[in-house]
Amino acid sequence: MKGNSPIMRSRVLPLLVWIFGLLVVWEAVSWMLLHVAKTPLAQSKLPYVHEVATTLWKYSGTLLREGGATFGNAGIGFLIGAAAGVLLAVLMSLSRTIEQLAFPYAVASQMIPILGLAPIIYGIVRDEQVSRIIISGYITFFPVALNMLRGLRSVDLSAVELMHSYAAKPWAVYWKLRFPAALPGLFSGLKIAAPLAVTGAILVELMGAQHGIGVIMLRNLYYGPSHTYMFWSTVLVGALLGIASYWLMTLIERLVAPWQPEFRPKGGDR
Amino acid sequence: MGSNSVREPSYITAAGTEEAPPSLITTRNSVSSGPQKQKGKRRLLKWFNPGVILPLLAGVLFLLLWEYQVFHKLFDLKKYQLPLPSAIWEAMRENYSLLLSYTGYTLTEAVVGMLIGSACGFLIALAATAWPRWGGGSLTLVAALNAVPIVALAPIMNLWFGDGIGSRAAIVTATTMAAMAINAYKGMAAVDPLALDLMHSYAAGKPAVFRYLRIQNSLPYVFTALKINATASMIGAIVGEFFFSSRGLGYLLSNSIKVAKMPLGWSCIVLAAIAGVLFYLMVERLEKVFIKWHSSQRS
Repeated sequence: MKGNSPIMRSRVLPLLVWIFGLLVVWEAVSWMLLHVAKTPLAQSKLPYVHEVATTLWKYSGTLLREGGATFGNAGIGFLIGAAAGVLLAVLMSLSRTIEQLAFPYAVASQMIPILGLAPIIYGIVRDEQVSRIIISGYITFFPVALNMLRGLRSVDLSAVELMHSYAAKPWAVYWKLRFPAALPGLFSGLKIAAPLAVTGAILVELMGAQHGIGVIMLRNLYYGPSHTYMFWSTVLVGALLGIASYWLMTLIERLVAPWQPEFRPKGGDR
Repeated sequence: MGSNSVREPSYITAAGTEEAPPSLITTRNSVSSGPQKQKGKRRLLKWFNPGVILPLLAGVLFLLLWEYQVFHKLFDLKKYQLPLPSAIWEAMRENYSLLLSYTGYTLTEAVVGMLIGSACGFLIALAATAWPRWGGGSLTLVAALNAVPIVALAPIMNLWFGDGIGSRAAIVTATTMAAMAINAYKGMAAVDPLALDLMHSYAAGKPAVFRYLRIQNSLPYVFTALKINATASMIGAIVGEFFFSSRGLGYLLSNSIKVAKMPLGWSCIVLAAIAGVLFYLMVERLEKVFIKWHSSQRS
């Protein structure tokens, strides 16, 4: 328990054990389903891990290309959506009228199953590239705007008063005080939106696009048992894309806003 | 929507946020000072408040622009691509019994899945708090599961649980688990150190600390998670139905897009939105009841 090496002290070791244990259990259950329980379509339901890994390696070129297409388009939409969200948040923080106009709809839009809109938008645009970008942008837009607005508003009032007493220009207040204060909120919005943007991009592909990981996923799903491993590989790639987008946001947050409590090694409430 | 138009959605405190619900309340007040002041006395005047009337006007204007095909001219769209609101209304009226039963079906999937998922998430949070070193690993795994796109989970769950209601409930379970686990964990971990010290000084064991301190403290967070999940579960159920399903709003939606029945597709979206809002409001109602009980216990 009292290991002194960094690996022992940190949470890396338990996590590694968890992941390794999960893989072992998976492999064992897969074997059981196939040989002991003799479940129909056993390999489709839970394929051998090593077979999936082999397929993943064998077709890594294709998977990488299609996954890259998905990720790239989701990324473009994500950037556009995030920029629009930040802009809207700034506008809402500047003007009450704009806020009163936009805020209720921002809230209401959270209630609409946004991902349900994906096929509709594809139906309107009929262009996979554009609709993927639109969906990713749309999903990014509101979480970013709302979180950013909350960040912009959550600045310390005495700090604002101090800025005023120094006769700071409005843009100086924004640049030096409100934006840094809004960064944590902005990033929590981005972290929510990033995996969703990938999901949205894949959803559009399912509706009948030409390129992207979702297309291969659906195709292999319909080919049936002979393509099980390929199907699971695409699922894995989809999952990895989502996780990668989340990690990317966390990494950028660490670089841009490193002062937050969760990045400190010790202290705070622990 | 009309009575309290300016409201901070709890959705934004989803996984990865470090804000606590109390701060939510303070920002809500700072964001909407208008409608609340006039509440009670001049209820009629409330309707002329700019916080209510402006968005209402904007909404009506939006619908009118849509109905009179301004968007169609602006973006060069055909009517079969973006149907008019009147056409959507017509489609809803023609198919209302079908739509109603499908909405019920999808909502059932969402509710069942959310209840199971939230329960699992809460148990994971309990385990992670009780045994931080090893339970923390499970929390990380759940957070990773949260980042997995629903579209990747959905076909697998369909393979496992077949065509019935079970597979969609499983999808929703998987998608709602993480938000609950992370939020509940935050609530259980962020207890007042002084209260913890007091419990220790009374020689309270781990179960007692959980029973009297941590679970109470996690309640607001749990309700935040439930509100996030209410919306997320509708999305999960609908997306799950995109794959293979023979009933439900998602099935009808993707099907009517494929055969170019756009008005029907749009009416699915409208109904899904209404069902989602109702579900959310229900959870919020429950929250009011429970949090009231909570604060009365403490005072």
